[in-house]
Amino acid sequence: MQYSSQAVAKPYFIVSIALFVGQILFGVILGLQYVIGDFLFPEIPFNVARMVHTNLLIVWLLFGFMGASYYLVPEETETELYSPKLALVMFWIFLAAGVATILGYLLVPYATLADITGNGLLPTMGREFLEQPTITKIGIVVVALAFLFNIGMTILKGRKTVVNLVLLMGLTGLAVFFLFSFFNPENLVHDKFWWWWVVHLWVEGVWELILGALLAYVLIKTTGVDREIIEKWLYVIIAMSLITGIIGTGHHYFWIGTPEYWQWWGSIFSAMEPIPFFMMTIFAFNMVNQRRRQHANKAAVLWALGCSVMAFLGAGVWGFLHTLAPVNYYTHGTQITAAHGHMAFYGAYVMIVLAIISYAMPMLRGRKAANSRKSQVLEMWSFWLMTVSMVFITLFLTGAGVLQVYLQRFSDDPLPFMVVQEKIALFYWMREGAGLVFLIGLLVYLSSFFIGSKDPEATLESA
Amino acid sequence: MGRRCITAADLFLPAIIGCSLQINVLPPNMTDSTQIRRYPPGDLAIWIFIIAELLVFGIFFASYAFARANNVELFNTYQLTLDRQSALLNTLLLITSSYFVVRAILSIQADNSQHCIRWLLAAMAMGLMFIVVKSVEFAHHLGAGISLSTNTFYMFYLSLTFFHFLHVILGMVILTTLAIKTRQGAYSATQHDGIESGASYWHMVDLVWLILFPLVYVMR
Amino acid sequence: MNALMKIKSCTWIYWALVFLTLITYVISRAGYSGLTVSLSVLVIALFKGQLIGNHFMGLSRVRGPWRWVIFIWLFIPGSLIVTAFTLAS
Repeated sequence: MQYSSQAVAKPYFIVSIALFVGQILFGVILGLQYVIGDFLFPEIPFNVARMVHTNLLIVWLLFGFMGASYYLVPEETETELYSPKLALVMFWIFLAAGVATILGYLLVPYATLADITGNGLLPTMGREFLEQPTITKIGIVVVALAFLFNIGMTILKGRKTVVNLVLLMGLTGLAVFFLFSFFNPENLVHDKFWWWWVVHLWVEGVWELILGALLAYVLIKTTGVDREIIEKWLYVIIAMSLITGIIGTGHHYFWIGTPEYWQWWGSIFSAMEPIPFFMMTIFAFNMVNQRRRQHANKAAVLWALGCSVMAFLGAGVWGFLHTLAPVNYYTHGTQITAAHGHMAFYGAYVMIVLAIISYAMPMLRGRKAANSRKSQVLEMWSFWLMTVSMVFITLFLTGAGVLQVYLQRFSDDPLPFMVVQEKIALFYWMREGAGLVFLIGLLVYLSSFFIGSKDPEATLESA
Repeated sequence: MGRRCITAADLFLPAIIGCSLQINVLPPNMTDSTQIRRYPPGDLAIWIFIIAELLVFGIFFASYAFARANNVELFNTYQLTLDRQSALLNTLLLITSSYFVVRAILSIQADNSQHCIRWLLAAMAMGLMFIVVKSVEFAHHLGAGISLSTNTFYMFYLSLTFFHFLHVILGMVILTTLAIKTRQGAYSATQHDGIESGASYWHMVDLVWLILFPLVYVMR
Repeated sequence: MNALMKIKSCTWIYWALVFLTLITYVISRAGYSGLTVSLSVLVIALFKGQLIGNHFMGLSRVRGPWRWVIFIWLFIPGSLIVTAFTLAS
């Protein structure tokens, strides 16, 4: 670790992983509730479990992005972080706000939560993924601004590289687009139109810049390929992300009451959204193939390569499957959507955060470059367990979705929703099985931080 | 090996134009235009960008053609309401500006920065006229109350031409950057990757219009 | 090829492009319609595109797969357009 202030990344990463565990526990609960509807009812109803599952996902990824930034920016800028103290204060504020919010979801009826948090003054609650009380949202904005300030000031006083500038652009975009969560129109069409300015322009927009920058950073560090080559690729990739993703927002505007031309614009542009992900895959494999040296941290390289492949499959391919308007007409809001959503989030964002943690955590814990061979082997096992089980989750949900679309929408005699849910229950059971394997993979992942931590570091001779 | 881009002019497009960076893993391109080369003129990154843009327009063109197949009467009827004289003028303007850009490149290959700038300015003048003519056309349509929602033909016509229009504007920004950098002495007979990159982009803008014009204005 | 020859050749290409454009315009003014006319106009446009690619964009001096990048772009959407217009008539 070259700069002492990089150490502030460590608490962020730890909380990141802790919240990831929470997310998956609730995921497994939800999976069971799909087939045993009153499981844990009324203590944890489905809708509450879902809020906890999705909100924890976003928050742990945000902790991960922040930790990643605090780690890589000092190194990229070749200067200490502007204010490690501010970073730590914000850590505790974000953690407290996050925990309070989750507890609020679990312990109190949602309507009561709205009352006691003063939602009436500025109503922002009640929308999917944006269920947080208004005061939590304000807290998120404060934390994000302080974070941007800290990172921005560091970049300003240090070396400006393409990696840290792209990262800063992505993070700034993340903060700016989150502001749309405060905009809550009465008109339902407008409500839905602007909602996507947070969700789509995050995950199919500015978050791709963050993904690209983090991937580029890990590849620079682990392959030794010339920075200029990697940075040039990064520029092309993010240009493609923005070109396809911005107007690609239109693929959410097909059926919500917006003008018909969105069906054309949304289809044409979003059809090309897989391109930047395809480029990332080629980019990652090319860089690793052309590497000048081996790196002792094999696990990090595995996460990086795996991320590029799974992101392409989950976000790119599965996204493409249901992005064209004529197809989406039938598949909208079905298990096809869930299939895509799970693999896309896992492949793109979960895996890049795990990749950066894999790269940075050994050094944050005192290693020179990598964990011991034993730890890395466990970590790589966890990679395969989680990734393969996620593929199966996606395949099972795709099966469920195809059957659902056929029975409920496409056939000459469409069946009602609940009747179809009964018929696709087998897929849900299989998905739950895969989900349990995922949880096992996650536990193996956790163990990799402890088992082998006393062993000597893996070197290129011993690896 | 490479220069870092630091001028304000190339703040927004540093890696694509302006920087003449050697790509280590690929063989350096020949700068003498009479030599056979393995890669097209200019930075490979800009060509990837060009291909991506061509892909978008290609899909748009194909979508137009198939949408027309479902609405032949509608498309034939409303196609006649378009201003073909303006379209002809615009086509000639873009072809001429492309030619001027070619002359600019030939000038810099002969190490003549002065002439290069003049040709670039001439190309930009043509581009500016295109923008004016097209803007007048758009104003006319808007004034007549035509919008994206009027009918499928107008939706495609307005989308295609407006999307292309935005690319002309971006192309103008690129040409301006090239002119400024030429004036600063950034290019020479032996080192002109950057200007070739920008020129390639401008030709792409022209190329797209060359298909758009007959497809939307003429073919019926 | 010396400098003057290069200027001459691209100037010829320019005039060819202008000429072909005028032909297209005349066809449209004369009100010709129908599949044959449309496809002819398209072929002229694709040919113009190939001239731009080869001579203005410099691809004629490229050996290898990159030489064909504009041709492929003209060919594939061009074929789709031909298909659509044929289906429509």
